[in-house]
Amino acid sequence: MHSYWFGDVVEGRCILFIGDSNAIIDRVQSITPEMDSFIPLEWEQAVLCGACRDRIDYLGRLQEVCIAAAERSIREQYSRKDAELLQMVRTLDEIDTVINLLSERAAEWYVVRHPAFSRKYRRTPAHVLVKTMREKSKGALGKVAGEIEQLAATRTILAKEVSARANDVMPNTSALIGGLVAARLLSHAGGLLLLSRLPASAIQVLGARTALFSHLKTRSPCPKHGIIFQHRRVHNAPREVRGKVARVLAGKLAIAARIDYFRGVPAPEFLDGAQERIDVTGKRSEP
Amino acid sequence: MIWIGDVLVSQGQGGVYNERMLGGARVWDPHRSKLSALYHVGTGIELTPGMRVLYLGAANGTTVSHVADYVDVVYAVEFAPRPMQDLLEVSRRRRNVIPIMADAARPEQYAMLVETIDLLYQDVAQPEQASIALRNCSFLKTGGILILMLKTRSVDVRKEPAEVFQDTLDALTSAGLIVQECKWLAPYHHDHAAIVCTKPVV
Repeated sequence: MHSYWFGDVVEGRCILFIGDSNAIIDRVQSITPEMDSFIPLEWEQAVLCGACRDRIDYLGRLQEVCIAAAERSIREQYSRKDAELLQMVRTLDEIDTVINLLSERAAEWYVVRHPAFSRKYRRTPAHVLVKTMREKSKGALGKVAGEIEQLAATRTILAKEVSARANDVMPNTSALIGGLVAARLLSHAGGLLLLSRLPASAIQVLGARTALFSHLKTRSPCPKHGIIFQHRRVHNAPREVRGKVARVLAGKLAIAARIDYFRGVPAPEFLDGAQERIDVTGKRSEP
Repeated sequence: MIWIGDVLVSQGQGGVYNERMLGGARVWDPHRSKLSALYHVGTGIELTPGMRVLYLGAANGTTVSHVADYVDVVYAVEFAPRPMQDLLEVSRRRRNVIPIMADAARPEQYAMLVETIDLLYQDVAQPEQASIALRNCSFLKTGGILILMLKTRSVDVRKEPAEVFQDTLDALTSAGLIVQECKWLAPYHHDHAAIVCTKPVV
């Protein structure tokens, strides 16, 4: 017997499949023929079957089923909890880039208007400088500075939302490394499923693409850490154990991501052990 | 293939991706489409009105729409949801594009939908490009054509493109395919090669 989307062909005879397009989609997705003994369908069989009148009708019906099936898969993929988080964290990182670029440019502009101004020997944080620029500048420059402040406010709100969403979507990974960094890992992997499939060694250098490929192509040293460097456990660790902390942390993150994908709830028994193991590694700095 | 001067075009409803129109025909830009690039740098395969095509890695349906202008039907396989949304829009306006959301590396997922085909066209960013093509050859009629757009950088960034190209060629010929034409797609696409094979009559 050979099964096709419109029916089953048994010894030259065809049995029409009865059902609406949803039933046909279920049928197509549930039956996977053996490719070795597979015989591609002949559209004429569909006519014999009574599934359609002619070739145009055949293609029309098939297209209808295929479009409906694709729409359903897209809906399913987008309704996963990580799909929106992915967009949120990418937007956040993009806003950061925009804020930095605009602030730099506005500062350059401001300096032209105030030749005596210099940032040297002043510990003015960027946002304070932007505020000064807004208050002291007339016209478009003041507006630009105002926009940067608005954007910064949006960024703060979005960052909180990303953290909260990450705690919900990936509770274990977030517990180990914080919601924001966890979300960035997710964004670089392309989704929770893809992150959970990555080996620990890949998670360790996720986001260090340039360094990794320059290592693979030439003899430059291999990167010790990518995004996970952003977590205090890695960047606060003493230099000599930083690589080690990154490796242990990545190992635990790989497990955490798998628990997140398959279980979706916090696993305290795993988290306690993992936290302790990472902390111990970070402290073992004295030889 | 339809050429107006040295511009490759296809006859069909325009406006798919704001493509330029020339004398009522859609200009098929070799910089955007690898298949068009092949027709510019090499011979390629004449697309005829009766052809049935399986297109792996359909992406946003840009090249698909041009192929569909020439042939009977295009079965367009794409895996990612984002480009699939665009491909669906193309299918809704073209009766001979059948969109299939599936993994080209697993032909059993869509075997129930696809008929025997005359042309297998593959443009996927995967490491296992040769084996994906070979697995999909079950749909290809004897004497049918395979056009493999080899993305050498997707196979292995550490290897030289020429080396990847040779390995792929060996894999295809040892599986019994007869190589007809090989062309690098420079200057239109870098590190991409087109391999045209026929499935021999056994």
